[in-house]
Amino acid sequence: MPALRELQAAFLRAMFGPDEPELLETIVGDALPPAARLQIYRHHVLTSLTEVLQTTFPVVCRLVDERFFRYAADAYIRQYPPEAPCLFEYGAHFPAFLAAFPPCRHLEYLADVARLEWAMHTAVHAEVHMPLDPAELGGLAPHDVAQLTFEFDPSVTLLDSPWPIDQIWRVNQAGEEMHAPIDLSAGEGALEIRRWEDDVVFRRLDPAIYTFRTTLAAGHPLAMAAEAALAACQEFDCTAALHELLTDGVIIGFTL
Amino acid sequence: MVHRSTSAKLGVGIGLRAPHVAEMLATRPAIGWLEVHAENYMGEGAPLAALERLRADYPLSVHGVGLSLGSAEALDNRHLSRLQRLRARLEPTFVSEHLSWSMARGVYLNHLLPLPYTEETLAVVAQHVIHTQEVLQCRLLIENPSSYLRFAHSAIPEPEFLGELVRRTGCGLLCDVNNIYVSCCNLGDDPVTYLDTLPACAVGEIHLAGHAVNDADGQTILIDDHGAPVSDAVWALYGHALAHFGSVPTLIEWDTHIPELAVLCAEARTAERFMQRTEEEGYAGVA
Repeated sequence: MPALRELQAAFLRAMFGPDEPELLETIVGDALPPAARLQIYRHHVLTSLTEVLQTTFPVVCRLVDERFFRYAADAYIRQYPPEAPCLFEYGAHFPAFLAAFPPCRHLEYLADVARLEWAMHTAVHAEVHMPLDPAELGGLAPHDVAQLTFEFDPSVTLLDSPWPIDQIWRVNQAGEEMHAPIDLSAGEGALEIRRWEDDVVFRRLDPAIYTFRTTLAAGHPLAMAAEAALAACQEFDCTAALHELLTDGVIIGFTL
Repeated sequence: MVHRSTSAKLGVGIGLRAPHVAEMLATRPAIGWLEVHAENYMGEGAPLAALERLRADYPLSVHGVGLSLGSAEALDNRHLSRLQRLRARLEPTFVSEHLSWSMARGVYLNHLLPLPYTEETLAVVAQHVIHTQEVLQCRLLIENPSSYLRFAHSAIPEPEFLGELVRRTGCGLLCDVNNIYVSCCNLGDDPVTYLDTLPACAVGEIHLAGHAVNDADGQTILIDDHGAPVSDAVWALYGHALAHFGSVPTLIEWDTHIPELAVLCAEARTAERFMQRTEEEGYAGVA
């Protein structure tokens, strides 16, 4: 009779691996053999986690078809099984896994579509914060303004891709007719994904604004973000960009 | 403590699932109460905000599926404190969990896995239930699992194990009638004997759901998929349960092939008719 800890360790191995005779011997096999009984649990563990990934990454699933998705998900689940019971947090490594998964290496945009879906998914469950009231910044000296750093709303993700992943996402929504093929050379997409009221939305940012916001989101001061944005585009208007940032509701705090 | 006199008035509720939230908010159907899976509401944002709106109109039960009370290892304290925060925020009428395990060596197996019913397991589960009740500052209802296997060294029948757990921890029981039926069919036990062995006064909630009938190597096996109407056999067993336990608050669960909200409401009406009939006939008369 195995101790509970050893029994559970053996059961865990069996969920992701072959049957072990020692474990099978602990299971009563009347009417149905122990291996068939164990298989019911194994099947449920793998299919239910696959369904979790399918719910979080529906466009990826549509792009590769369901059969291939299940195959990729199975490999992912074995490599990165969940570490905690809140399954809305499961799947963070799936985009990077897809990028390195040899059978879909030819779908170069796939991992970035997965990143977009993960960003949208995490925005749904992100902590809710009140946006910063721009009036709180009134009366700061110019030198202080240059040193400002900002805290972004936790639902915000800034995502850059060499592929038009926003277009790929849109034409692959359920109920959407398959449009004319997307021109994959149509250009990169620098996207901002965020919660907006009860929805999650994304939009394209122009390259200078994207640089400005990613520099700020990395915790750098306003002066450095403005410099980086100017380097990306000489026409960058820092005053307008700062005004837009503060009225967009994506900033929840600042430090001097 | 579960106060039967007040909780019985809850009648029949439904498990709240994501596809029904918008319709629930818009139509507020006449449902006795709602139950949610705790783990789905441990994030922030729209799901929790919607639940807080519904909570104003419906009594709420928080049903955990991930605490892994049967793990030989220590409980996941991060998860337990998230459960505590949710309980404090939602102030549910009931908090429930399962007689099962799902965590081992830092891996969460998304399933309610079976336990050997031994003195060692009883000590482990009792300790975890006591600790959880201390942290949550409330009485837990513990649900009987659906089983597809039995361990050869399981020495204690499941309903007796649950009875002893109640005695040691002061917890209540969530009697899942469908799980009893599924387990007894799969393991060759008698569901009526099972029900009659449970300590009736500890049962604070009943679950009802549908199951699938599958074939495995030529052997019929029932799968607890919550994906169909409650079967006739389970309704009959529910009638027996009500006669034995009294009009315990009852929940309809549906998790796969989720139908229209109206279908769940109709199942709830059926359960209400069983409850009314039991009350009219008197508990002893139906048994």
